[in-house]
Amino acid sequence: MVVNVKLMSMFARYLKNHPDGKVDMEEDSTVRGLAEILGLPVKLVRIITVNGKQEDLNKVLSNGDLVYIFPPAIGGG
Amino acid sequence: MKNGYWQRMLRVDLTSRKSTVEPIEEKDLKDFIGGAGLGAEILRRELPEKIDPYGPRNLIIFATGPFQGPAVPGGAKFSIVGISPLTGTFADTAAGAAWGPSLKDAGYDVIVLKGVSEKPVYIQIMDDDVQVKDASGLWGKDTFETVDAIHEQTGDKKLSVAAIGPAGERRVAIACIAVDNHSFAGRCGLGAVMGAKNVKAVAVRGTKKVEVHNPKATSELIKKYQKQIREAVIKNEFRKHGTPGLCETAEGLGDMPIKYWERDVWPEGAKKLGGSNYTEALNAKPLPCKYCPIGCHRKITITEPEEYRYEGIGPEYETLGLMGTNLLIDDPKVVAIGNDIANRLGLDTISAGAMVGFAMECFEKGWITTNDTDGLELKWGDPKAFFTLVEQIGRREGFGAIFGEGTVEAAKKIHPDSVAEVVHCKGLDFPSHDPRACISLAPTYATGTRGACHFRGPCEDVEMGGFFIPEVGIKEGTVKFFETENQSRVAVKCQDLGVLANSLVLCLFMVDGGDWSMTDVTDLFNAITGWDYSVDDLMLAGERGFTVQRLNNIRDGYNKAMDVLPKKMFQVAKEGFRAGKAIPFEDLMKDYYALRGWDENGAPSKETMERLNLA
Repeated sequence: MVVNVKLMSMFARYLKNHPDGKVDMEEDSTVRGLAEILGLPVKLVRIITVNGKQEDLNKVLSNGDLVYIFPPAIGGG
Repeated sequence: MKNGYWQRMLRVDLTSRKSTVEPIEEKDLKDFIGGAGLGAEILRRELPEKIDPYGPRNLIIFATGPFQGPAVPGGAKFSIVGISPLTGTFADTAAGAAWGPSLKDAGYDVIVLKGVSEKPVYIQIMDDDVQVKDASGLWGKDTFETVDAIHEQTGDKKLSVAAIGPAGERRVAIACIAVDNHSFAGRCGLGAVMGAKNVKAVAVRGTKKVEVHNPKATSELIKKYQKQIREAVIKNEFRKHGTPGLCETAEGLGDMPIKYWERDVWPEGAKKLGGSNYTEALNAKPLPCKYCPIGCHRKITITEPEEYRYEGIGPEYETLGLMGTNLLIDDPKVVAIGNDIANRLGLDTISAGAMVGFAMECFEKGWITTNDTDGLELKWGDPKAFFTLVEQIGRREGFGAIFGEGTVEAAKKIHPDSVAEVVHCKGLDFPSHDPRACISLAPTYATGTRGACHFRGPCEDVEMGGFFIPEVGIKEGTVKFFETENQSRVAVKCQDLGVLANSLVLCLFMVDGGDWSMTDVTDLFNAITGWDYSVDDLMLAGERGFTVQRLNNIRDGYNKAMDVLPKKMFQVAKEGFRAGKAIPFEDLMKDYYALRGWDENGAPSKETMERLNLA
């Protein structure tokens, strides 16, 4: 299956091998599995949404899902 | 006393040019801590309803707290409190650099200015020597020139100077107060109130050191926290990129204003403005306030192109939002130049950017034409239009003079239909955070005691996963994007924390970014004051301060019907992270009112007043 991934700010560099944001994965993979494929530092993952709903690393993904993964955001002053 | 306070308030009557020193009761400090909480209580006790912000009865209160004596990380801050010309009610605004500790070292916790000087003056304080000096030679100078001129005139370069620019002199309702050529008490137009009082600057230096309860524990804790905060901000890159590091994430979440809150996404623009692009394009380096381990402010150098050559302070995230994506400008150098124009004139860069965005929207809709603007085409993304309009707003000249009383008043003159398009609460333009993305901001803005403000309640950083207060039950997972549960509780707690921080006075970035816990803050507070507070005691003081600010709002005519959001916040995004999501405003406000213990008119109930010892 293929999921669509958007990574922001300090995470953006982890998509360099997937410039179109599409990542091939095995069926029933989780967000954690996606993070591992991309080499994301899992400890820094703070926000995950799948199709607009906030989820955690254990969320099981489906073909075509839109996944946003953000590091902690600070500095809004 | 040995509690981190002098318990001394300096009062200067500008009409009579007399100054007096009054004691501050310890009970008031225990209840309100200092800064914005204590300032709000002074306004509540001393002002009648709906005074003229530019009249002699208005007060300008410069207030410190217990954190300005020792070298506390993030403690080089102070609050300025008064009645705002934009909102007509309570306002507080804060700045850093070195002014707060300098006032403390001079032997005062608070200065209260009242009356109106007949001629331009500045106030020079050196310990017990308080002079009201002629400022006719300074009038007309920009904020940076004023600081330099005062240093030259007095021969004392160690004076810390809070000054207004031409915008404050001309009572532009978004005028700021600039501190030491570095930091800005930006919001709510208190610079215009200083201008109306004919006060160009307040310059202060001291040679004293306030005593604390436990000097050894205080100094050990400070040393530990300095290291701890510095390590946190190196790890999360906050020191490296400062607040501009937020741009891409904020845009990704739909949190940044784009085309005056009309467009949903602009990833290319945010990427060019923020993070590593900013740091490289502007050769940006950290510029810390005194004692600060973070250094979120930026010192920048632009070498090319020739017309943008510049060395000085750089724009922050908020300015990159309102003067960048908001205007469809994606060049950080252009934002840096506009930022500098506003800083020198003494304008709040948030409201100035909002005004330019609003004007560009009106121009696009035909509500403003080149006949109104002396030929200036207010086109989206145009640097010349941007620079020219900021200059005109700050000097209250040309078309820009229409913004002299704020965006809402300008809209009334521009076109009747434009009034509903203004993005504000209580007359204060929105900062660079969108309640449609972080819905806890909806009640935060609607009830904000100084109007729409994300930093008198940094709940958006809780939603974004960057900041938690586990001691009061705000943890990872407490709220989820777009889901109502717990959002109003986060809003309430963050507002209370916002008031507490601006009462201590503590830069919120120490806890929100620097990962300094509220337990740590409380431990240091107790070492300084000896008062043995719990985290809950401190948060209660924040809630009390917030409530007194609200009581000021109510005295000045605000009520539940005015706890609203502007029309654009109910436009649902078609694309991006918040596509299809609407703010559940009524549910959030219902929860919020219940948590606050406010009645059907928006006033604190009798029980709430009693619980807070305000009855």
